[in-house]
Amino acid sequence: MMRRALIVVLLIAVAAPLMLAMSQLPPHGSPETPPYTHVSPYYLEHGAEEGGAENIVTSVILNYRGFDTQHEVTVIFTAMAAVLAVLLLAGSEPTDAEDAPGESPVPVSVVVRFIVRVLAPFIALFSAYVVLNGHITPGGGFQGGTIAGALVIALSLVMSREEADALLPRKPEHLLQAAAPIAFFLTGVAGLALFGDYLFFPRDEAFRWAAVLMLTVIEVGIGVGGASVLVRIFRAMRAD
Amino acid sequence: MITWPPLLALLIAVPMTSAVLTPAIARGSARRAFWWALAVMSVASIIAAMLIIRVSHEGPFSYVVGGWVAPYGIELRFDEFSAAIAIICLLGTLAIIFSKEYVTHAIAEPRIPYYYTLLLLNLMAMIGFTVTGDLFNLFVFMEILSLSGYALVAVSGERIAEMAAFKYLVMGAVSSLLVLFSIGLLYALTGSLNMADVAERLDGAAAAPLAVAFACITLGFMVKSAVFPLHVWLPDAHAIAPSPISAVLSGLVVKVGIIGMLRVYQIAYSSGAVDMTGLNTVLMWLGAISIVMGAFFAVFQDDIKLMLAYSTISNIGYIVMGLGLASTYGVIGASVHVFNHALIKATLFLGAGAIIHQTGKRTLSDLAGVGRAMPFTVAAISIGAISIVGIPPTAGFLCKWYIALGAMQAGRPFFAFALVFGALFIFIYYIRMVNAFYFQKPKDPSILEVHEAPATMLGPTLLLAALCLVMGVFGRLPLSFIEPAVNRLLAPLGGG
Repeated sequence: MMRRALIVVLLIAVAAPLMLAMSQLPPHGSPETPPYTHVSPYYLEHGAEEGGAENIVTSVILNYRGFDTQHEVTVIFTAMAAVLAVLLLAGSEPTDAEDAPGESPVPVSVVVRFIVRVLAPFIALFSAYVVLNGHITPGGGFQGGTIAGALVIALSLVMSREEADALLPRKPEHLLQAAAPIAFFLTGVAGLALFGDYLFFPRDEAFRWAAVLMLTVIEVGIGVGGASVLVRIFRAMRAD
Repeated sequence: MITWPPLLALLIAVPMTSAVLTPAIARGSARRAFWWALAVMSVASIIAAMLIIRVSHEGPFSYVVGGWVAPYGIELRFDEFSAAIAIICLLGTLAIIFSKEYVTHAIAEPRIPYYYTLLLLNLMAMIGFTVTGDLFNLFVFMEILSLSGYALVAVSGERIAEMAAFKYLVMGAVSSLLVLFSIGLLYALTGSLNMADVAERLDGAAAAPLAVAFACITLGFMVKSAVFPLHVWLPDAHAIAPSPISAVLSGLVVKVGIIGMLRVYQIAYSSGAVDMTGLNTVLMWLGAISIVMGAFFAVFQDDIKLMLAYSTISNIGYIVMGLGLASTYGVIGASVHVFNHALIKATLFLGAGAIIHQTGKRTLSDLAGVGRAMPFTVAAISIGAISIVGIPPTAGFLCKWYIALGAMQAGRPFFAFALVFGALFIFIYYIRMVNAFYFQKPKDPSILEVHEAPATMLGPTLLLAALCLVMGVFGRLPLSFIEPAVNRLLAPLGGG
């Protein structure tokens, strides 16, 4: 009881200054506040022409602040490496599926199996659409990659292990998992070699195709990398 | 001297991408992973050396990634404080060399390529953290750094290792949230994420959110650097991790919090919009308490790695106290202690790792008399112990002397007293350790039959011990190197 009272007092003591601070912040959403008057207007005015993508959000995350996103995708890769470093056991690097646990004793419902298989091609198509269309509409590599990864996981649940493993080949898996940071790095170096600055995307109308190409390479890299990382984490947990 | 501007971006991008490629290069082989990691560290070290030479000639310089001028794009900024990447590269390389034979026994084989991957990612994220000039970019590097750190604590697979890593993760997640929350507040107040730009635009911002932002970001960094009483995650995590990881975590990763605080101070002092006096007083006191409490806990430890982990809390106390004093000598001493403590603590942790690896024992009572069986390793540990107490002519002396001078300069002789008192305490438990290793009768005579560790483990330990002595003799060099940066930092305070 004493302890509970103490916790409540402590929480109030922490919450009070935080609430005071929030109440004095510039009003949220008002167009006169610094977040809307300083950097953002520049993005809104120039993002569509300079940024290489009609979708301003894509311009900001891949172009203006591309260096951040390059390392955000490295965070995703790090998460996978962390999971594997903690979960892999001696002899469990599953090059062959022999010592992995067998099929689930409960058979998958026929309805689930049928529905997943019927929907699979449409989900795959939608995932590719979200990745490739990310520079015009909301979406992009992160979202599309997640959809593709979820698709492979859903199929793994209804297929036999051999069939499921064939969905994402093991041989190039290490490269596929690192696809996002590698795509960023290659694009960055291309910018350096052609235009003189790391992660430089050409801004002229004449070179717009080059910028779009570079953005697409990154989007696809993020999509492939994100999907592979998700699937690898799923497989590591399944083998445990 | 090379002044090619994009080099600063490549310093991060090349080794970071190479780190991500480690599993693909290794294809399951621990040997290939090791050589690749060593190659990556060599490349990073060469680029780092070129940049440090440049900053020593022409002072701070920047690079805007993608050609987008700040505040629209991301600015990387290299100043004298960024020269901390020298110690990151040096310690990282030595930790990797030490790992070569250490991990074959300590870590399950399929995990080894990921061990090197995470270690490289951790080191590169620290480099990125140190050289970025953008608040959100800082946060991104902090995420890579924290995530890889948690996994590296758990990688040995012992049950308690996973618990220690989980405790580290919970505390670390809270601190990351605090930092992110503060960055959000600063963005709401200024509309910018570039550190220099934020500093310019803080004038006239509402007082309460500003105070909360600076308080929370400092608090977040204090958790990361384990200042008392936010240290509870540190002893277990640093003691249970594989020894080369302990050296990196204790020598480098806790310093990330300090470098983060230095960046916060740069914003606060140059903007003049925030009154840091209150925070400085808190830091001074917490620093003094950390020194004494860290030493106090360490005295009662029997496990040598736990003892070293508590000693890290004391030393972070020295650094935080120096920062809080906000006088020229204090801040110079604190900045250089970031460097010197990394050297010293790595010597001690690698030495302890070699002993544990050879004997399989880790408590002082079991290890009595080991000095006769492993004379070189124990000699290296003794040099580390003398350095950390701060006896001249070793690396620990000058910084502590400067911090004490800083206390006098700031008109607070009490803190100089706390520093000397803490050093005496530290002296006691390191004497206990050296005494047990050299002069006590072995509990188990079989300990006299162990041999020195293999060259890949002994070499880095001895090199670091030698550097502790060298940095003691040439200790003025880093002090005069960092001085212009500290003068620039404190200039708005009116001469400090």
